[in-house]
Amino acid sequence: MYKGLVLVVDDEPQIRDLLGFYLKRAGYQVMLAEHGREALRQMEKARPDLILSDLRMPELSGDEFCRMVKEDPATRDVYFVLVSAVEGMASRIGGLNLGADDMISKPFHAQEVVAKVESAFRTIGMQKEIKRQNQELARFRERITAELSLAARLQMGLLPALPGLAPGFRYTHRYLPAEGIGGDIYSILPTAEGGLALLLADVSGHGVTAALISAMVKTSFESHVRQSESPLVWAQGMNRDLARNTLSEQFATAFIAHIRPGGAMSYVMAGHEAPILLTQGAQGGLHQPHTLSGQGFMLGIEEDLPFEEKRAAFEPGDRLILFTDGLIEVAREDHGQLGHEGMARLCAELPGDQDAAADRLIRDAQAFIHPTAFTDDVTLVILDHL
Amino acid sequence: MLNIQTRQEGNASVVTIQGKVNFEVTAQLRDAIRDTVTAHQPKLLVINLEGVSFIDSSGLGLLVAARNSVDKNNGKLHLCGLPTQVKKTFDQTNLTNYFSIFTTEQDALRGA
Repeated sequence: MYKGLVLVVDDEPQIRDLLGFYLKRAGYQVMLAEHGREALRQMEKARPDLILSDLRMPELSGDEFCRMVKEDPATRDVYFVLVSAVEGMASRIGGLNLGADDMISKPFHAQEVVAKVESAFRTIGMQKEIKRQNQELARFRERITAELSLAARLQMGLLPALPGLAPGFRYTHRYLPAEGIGGDIYSILPTAEGGLALLLADVSGHGVTAALISAMVKTSFESHVRQSESPLVWAQGMNRDLARNTLSEQFATAFIAHIRPGGAMSYVMAGHEAPILLTQGAQGGLHQPHTLSGQGFMLGIEEDLPFEEKRAAFEPGDRLILFTDGLIEVAREDHGQLGHEGMARLCAELPGDQDAAADRLIRDAQAFIHPTAFTDDVTLVILDHL
Repeated sequence: MLNIQTRQEGNASVVTIQGKVNFEVTAQLRDAIRDTVTAHQPKLLVINLEGVSFIDSSGLGLLVAARNSVDKNNGKLHLCGLPTQVKKTFDQTNLTNYFSIFTTEQDALRGA
């Protein structure tokens, strides 16, 4: 087993043979060449790990040869040692400027050359190891990125399909996760009696963990909706599910509502940003925004915490705007925040078209914090009672 | 930037936090609280939030977790010095009723 392949290039046969002898004895495989041109021919047969080349040679000199090796991407990484009879600092620097990795000055002791080659091979070994690790990291990153983008697509698939239509209702959303994948989730389910079950939740943190929990929150919501008509019972059930199945720091804020066909809405506010109601706002125009009242624990803190159910009218012609705190809690450079009041101001006059309204709200919220950008997951839902 | 200082007052540990408590700094704060609780096993942990300009849900999560870990040691967690903005977040999430909250650090240490 050779330690590596060394190409010795020198027009003097004695020097070639001497270096070849010592290097072979030290355990290297050796190729010999008379000048740069021949060395290039040799390199077509086998790629050396290290080249030991004289500077002054006929046909193709050492400096030209060095430049060619270092310019070719296929051979750029070959360790190049220039052997030069020209003494002095200036020639050394000149050689290194050509791209040579090291210099040896003539006359030399063969042992000195072997020692230099040994040291160079240690460097080469380290470089190879770093390269291998980099490749491994790059592959790992590629895999994670691919998996994340797959997970992000899957998560998008968990959101209600757009355009959103349920008997008597129309809705749209804007979903902007902070890291490609996020902890915001919402769900809209038509209920048997012609109403809607509605959830908007924001799991603490972001990234993959939050996304996993958000999927759990949605599943939990949908299973409780099938078993009862009361958002209070849904919230209690979801709180229990989340408290049992997540770590102590993980929970979700949520707005959970049941809207009856006539427009009677009962809801639970679980630590969530209060939605904004625009009475007769579904057609757009200027309206007085109402913030839904209520407050409550986040879901998942402890199993038996109490929740409160509130009521409000959400009648035909009304518009409800739901959002997560990522939309309004970004601090500007002057520390100003859009906040709930600012959001209500933006909602006061909106286009009738839902998608135009959603785009306008996102654009205005972004403009408010410019040049800062959203840092948390952002979800905006507009729901119109037709 | 989050600035965290911890000190001992008799049987109590006091953690003073200054800055914005959000997702980016939770790891730092979690370590500081855990180190204090592990090292001193305090009967009373006081967290002074006077210098906190903003707290998000990950920050709230951390405080809830802190309460749980102190509870396990049969200790108590007292919060104090909540600025208006932070108080609002606590109200919104009902945590005002979940934590023992005091106006000043002296009150929190006396722990009425």
